[in-house]
Amino acid sequence: MMTLRPSLSNSCRQGGCTLTGALSATTHVRDAVTVVHGPKGCTHHNFSLFHATNLDNDELILPDMFSTGLTDTEIIFGGEETLRQTLDSVTRGGSAAVFVLSTCIVDTIGDDIHAVCDRDYGVPVIPIPTAGFLGGSFQDGLNNALCAIADKAGLFSRTEKEVVAFCPENCNGVNIIGEKNLEFEVEENYAEVTRLLDGLSIPVNSRFIRNSAVKDLFRIGTARLNILRDEELRPVGEFLKKKFGTPYIVSYPSGLEGTIQFIRNVADAFGIAGGHAVAREQEMQEEMLAGFSDISGAEILFETTPTRESRLYSDEIILHLGLRLGNRGCRVPLPFSPPVGSTGVRRLLHRWRCAIHG
Amino acid sequence: MAECNNPLWPCAMTGAASCLAGFEDITVVIHGSSGCYYYPTTLLHTPLRGTFIMENEVIFGSDERIREVMDGLAGAKNRVAIITTCVPAILGEDIQSMLASHDVILVDSPGFSGDVEIGYKKALEILAPEVNPETPGVNIDGVCLFDPFSRGNLLEVRRLLQLASVPVGTVFCADKLGGVKNAGAYTLGTNGNFASGVGESLGGMLGFGAIAETFAAIDRRFDEADVEPVLKEAGFEEERVVRACDKFLMKADPPTVAIFGGSSYAAFAAGTLRRYLDAEILCIGCRNEPAETSIPMKQVTGLNEVKDLIRLHDPDLVLGSSFEHSVARNRGFVALTPPIRENVRLAPRAIAGIAGTLFFVEDVLNECMDAKKKNAPKD
Repeated sequence: MMTLRPSLSNSCRQGGCTLTGALSATTHVRDAVTVVHGPKGCTHHNFSLFHATNLDNDELILPDMFSTGLTDTEIIFGGEETLRQTLDSVTRGGSAAVFVLSTCIVDTIGDDIHAVCDRDYGVPVIPIPTAGFLGGSFQDGLNNALCAIADKAGLFSRTEKEVVAFCPENCNGVNIIGEKNLEFEVEENYAEVTRLLDGLSIPVNSRFIRNSAVKDLFRIGTARLNILRDEELRPVGEFLKKKFGTPYIVSYPSGLEGTIQFIRNVADAFGIAGGHAVAREQEMQEEMLAGFSDISGAEILFETTPTRESRLYSDEIILHLGLRLGNRGCRVPLPFSPPVGSTGVRRLLHRWRCAIHG
Repeated sequence: MAECNNPLWPCAMTGAASCLAGFEDITVVIHGSSGCYYYPTTLLHTPLRGTFIMENEVIFGSDERIREVMDGLAGAKNRVAIITTCVPAILGEDIQSMLASHDVILVDSPGFSGDVEIGYKKALEILAPEVNPETPGVNIDGVCLFDPFSRGNLLEVRRLLQLASVPVGTVFCADKLGGVKNAGAYTLGTNGNFASGVGESLGGMLGFGAIAETFAAIDRRFDEADVEPVLKEAGFEEERVVRACDKFLMKADPPTVAIFGGSSYAAFAAGTLRRYLDAEILCIGCRNEPAETSIPMKQVTGLNEVKDLIRLHDPDLVLGSSFEHSVARNRGFVALTPPIRENVRLAPRAIAGIAGTLFFVEDVLNECMDAKKKNAPKD
């Protein structure tokens, strides 16, 4: 739901802001801190939201955020000095890098964040434009953060040797770009993608950004292929292509045929034969579908109205299992984000079977 | 203001929303960005509306957008309250004039103006409560949607007033808007951090001592009141608390405790634990302005300060929110402060009233006994 773009046509919706999107990436650089330049409330709202989501996802790591704690005094007279003092303080705390995120009010009063961040603090200080409504949606915030961090990737390398070790000709891996860190099944989706890559003997070079360390961020430019989490990250894919020359695949594999096509696309990008991997996956899919033959022919009704994305994978499943759509059918879930890979479809079918037999 | 690591308390805008959304005949509109709307909506578990303004509205004004939202709400019987967030608050738009033809409640409560209590108070001031001497009964105060105990507190205090044959006046803030201008002359409190200041205060409902004093005051003001059943029940239940705690102390040392929360609940918790368990209160970290108590309180606004206090004092038991629980996994923990997560909480739990003290002591004893079992030598 967080990827919804703000709609002015209604006044009641669920969705995050640009700041939340950026924080979902920057707080996953575990040895960096994120400074939110604005009133304390903006940081509290996000800290609390991330805390709740992490608990729900069985992740006990707390995000590390600082607020510059602007009050009406700074709103009137400007908050740049407060930001500078905060950066002086947090950079003394031993963090490997600092990300500075703006808020609506700070962009409105016109603080020059870039000028403050340009000073020498002894560690990389990366400003990221995230001014709530001024910047756009959750997705825009995430995209801005990924591009800003990738743009400064050179700042994060430690030694010449490290850079050489990861230069493109020495790397055979892929980067995973823009994982949905607030997603409940984020690790399961990653595991499915790596399973498919293993079938082609292709390693993951970098997860950009999930449970990352600052010293690893420079590796973003050293992969042979970028795999985006979903199509909304296309601007990031384009940015990385322009900066590092890395081609990209627009999204994780979705649906049965989409998974097969994903394997083919990755194989093509690496210039290797993917026939065996495709055949193995097709065999696995056939066995999986045979395991759900008991629900073949059942009448179903979706719990939510299908979107263009959900239509693609659900139509395919309906066709393969001979299911029927009808108003008197059993209500089955239809996830907003398409199931990832063949195992994602399998998990969805288990849920459908429970609904049908229930 | 110094920087703050992982701030623990919501802003004034959320406070205003938690006041106004408590009135069933008010529709609350958050005038600001999607992010400002999203948090109070998820925190308060109540439907809110938003204007979701964007760059366009900041540059050219939000007049059109506000009218659009108001038109969308036309026909509903509820009165509309608009809460301005940080950016609209400094744009200088005359929203009241823009909406001259609408009967809206406008609350200017930007996040930079302070914490949740500030916004709550501001919103209540705008509603301008009035006492009507003809209104029977006692108002119930401090019922704030932000407080996870508020529903339980309300049910418990209603029960006790009914037991004493005293009608309930206006509930601040979980009532109908009409009640605000027709409040009773007397008020009792459930959470002092969200006091309305309406009517003559008869006292609080946190702890047996406060309950006895408050109902004694009710007895003096209301001829028709019969407070005896309440005092009898309180005496009976306090005796049970004393016995349970005494039994615990026969086998265990009193717990050492660190308390984090609003000053009102923190003071209650400290007093209760000292009185019945002879507990050693090592520190009280207040989310808001510290209260004057026999145990010094210190204002604590960020998670690093919480970590430092817990590390310094090394308590057996931590009372606080899920934030404290996250940084004190190897210690006993009792939920006292929002947000409370991890455990499923469906039934309304009180902290005020007789049941409130019972719930609280029950939680503490069970947690202390669990810790004792965990530390016992294993077979």
